[in-house]
Amino acid sequence: MSRFVRLRAAVLSLALAIPVALAACAAPGSGDDSKKSTEGPIKIALVDAQSGQLSSLGAWELKGARLAIDEWNAAGGVNGRQVELGVFDDQGDPTVGTNLARKISSEGYIAMIGTAESAVTIAMAPILRDSKIPNITSGQSPGLVAVKSPFLFLNGPTSTTYDETLAKYIVDTKGIKSIAMITNNGGYGKGEHDAFLKALQARSVTPVDDQVVTADQKDFSAALTTIRQKNPQVIFIGAEEVQSGLIVKQARDLGITAPFAGAAPQGTPVFASTAGVANIEATIVSSPYLSNDINDATKKFAAAYKAKYNEEAELHGAKAYDGTQILLTALKTSNVATGEKLAEAIRATKYAGLLGNFAFDDTGVGIFATAIGLIQGGKLVSAG
Amino acid sequence: MQVFLQTFIGGVSLGAIYALVAMGFSLVFRTMGLVNFSHGNVVMIGAYIASTFYLSAKLPFALAMAVAIVVTGLIGVFIERVLRPLENKDFDLMLIGTIGFGIVLEAVAIIIWGATGTAVPNPVAVAPVQVFGLRVRTYDLVVLAIATAATLLLVFFLQRTKRGAAMQAVAMDQAATAVGIHVGRSNAIAFMLGAALAALAGGLVGPLLYVNPSMGGTLGIKGFAGAILGGFGSIPGAIVGGIAIGVLDAFAAGHFQGYSELVTFVVFTVIIMIRPTGIFGERTVNRA
Repeated sequence: MSRFVRLRAAVLSLALAIPVALAACAAPGSGDDSKKSTEGPIKIALVDAQSGQLSSLGAWELKGARLAIDEWNAAGGVNGRQVELGVFDDQGDPTVGTNLARKISSEGYIAMIGTAESAVTIAMAPILRDSKIPNITSGQSPGLVAVKSPFLFLNGPTSTTYDETLAKYIVDTKGIKSIAMITNNGGYGKGEHDAFLKALQARSVTPVDDQVVTADQKDFSAALTTIRQKNPQVIFIGAEEVQSGLIVKQARDLGITAPFAGAAPQGTPVFASTAGVANIEATIVSSPYLSNDINDATKKFAAAYKAKYNEEAELHGAKAYDGTQILLTALKTSNVATGEKLAEAIRATKYAGLLGNFAFDDTGVGIFATAIGLIQGGKLVSAG
Repeated sequence: MQVFLQTFIGGVSLGAIYALVAMGFSLVFRTMGLVNFSHGNVVMIGAYIASTFYLSAKLPFALAMAVAIVVTGLIGVFIERVLRPLENKDFDLMLIGTIGFGIVLEAVAIIIWGATGTAVPNPVAVAPVQVFGLRVRTYDLVVLAIATAATLLLVFFLQRTKRGAAMQAVAMDQAATAVGIHVGRSNAIAFMLGAALAALAGGLVGPLLYVNPSMGGTLGIKGFAGAILGGFGSIPGAIVGGIAIGVLDAFAAGHFQGYSELVTFVVFTVIIMIRPTGIFGERTVNRA
């Protein structure tokens, strides 16, 4: 994130914050009335980065969620009421996120989709819990589970699942023990670091190198040269799409030929274009959604997505679609309940989605499996 | 040793970009005494224009860069023209005006190119040069060569041409007007050259990073830090300062990993506390 923008945002928000703060103060009393309204559209908020380096995630998430909502609205809405999606830009910034949490609470939104950034979601969680607004996030950091909010649900597996599957494939199946790690110290990268390290330790494997970079870093010469000297067989990356792409590109320039391994970001087109298609060959990806051709449901989703947005569907759109479907199903079964009742309805929802069969546990995680894919000729193919 | 040298090379490559950004900051500051806070965003606009002409219009990279430099230079002239009425009235307002322009440029970029950004493929698709086990990207060498050439041209312009000399005079003394120098024109040229340098930096950094509307922030702050470190307003200072920030950043990343940003700016602050005027500080101009 840019500090310049933040600085400016800080100056500007001085002016903007006052009305927001007033609205937030008024929320506990007046907010409840608007939440209980039983007429008019059902208001659902989508909070995601619509600007900044993480905005591709936000754009995919919005597309997936909007597709689900449009399908329900076209079929008559939820119990005869249309669903209205309010879109908010968190800029990938936890501070902006917490302000938005207060805003959606005061404006009478009954549930929230997003965010795609674990750090932002974790920052928003306490406010959403106090306002009793159920939230289905696309984040995957184990830190989300650690928040222990009964109103927080994940629309995919956590890093623990992604990285356990990955470690199982690399160490158990392939017998590779010489593994280096490079992760960033942001919410997502930290989660990946801890989860993968734990999975390795469970197999008595110690990484040959463990490099941590900042989420803002652009030059990885020092970290990558150190890794190159250790000559690992596989390099694990825990960083978002763009940064992962830059790491791989620079690694290849430095003469590192070992394949990379990672979770969801490594399966995205942004990662591929940033790194260069030739550089990502043989990347090992742990993902709950390897391609659009898994089964009839994913094919149908991909076709609808393509028809609506004229681009190929991918994991994040699919996750948001699943999450939104679960929320809308819960709204239907609970007869448009709000607060705790809605959260309970979400937890009780069993849903056969694009990522697999969702059944939520007490931690808010509904799905516990990913599959391994390999990038071949720029495409992700199942390693099965 | 290998890690040390490779880290140094990586630092110099981004440092050269920071140096170009720092030069733009310094050029405007030495002429007008103004910190152009929109400079980082002008870099971003330059990066976008260069990458658009390179990727969409399929122009050769050098030509796309030239287009970006011209168009962005004109944007610089425009910014100066809009802010000019404020110069003799309220200097603080002018400063805020540049911040405003920065926000506008970012918003315009989002409207034109969308919020998500694009990756720019390397225009010099040649394998890295290998020297004693060190690997130097050919593109980095191109960046260094262009940055050096731009610096030499700028120094030549400022010291050997009449127009450049006039700008030096404006930089040194408000009384330049008395001897018939058009201050407004000098300011416009400073803004134009500053923006052109920004476009050069942006266009060159595209293939190294990821072009997106918020990229100006980091580049702007690092370039600004480079300019301050070198001695704000000094052209040689901007080059040394920019490269120093790049190298400092690279070594901090190697040794302090997740805390590298913190270390970079703590070191920066300590240097500035010891030597508030920067490395080439004695030449710093202050007209404000």
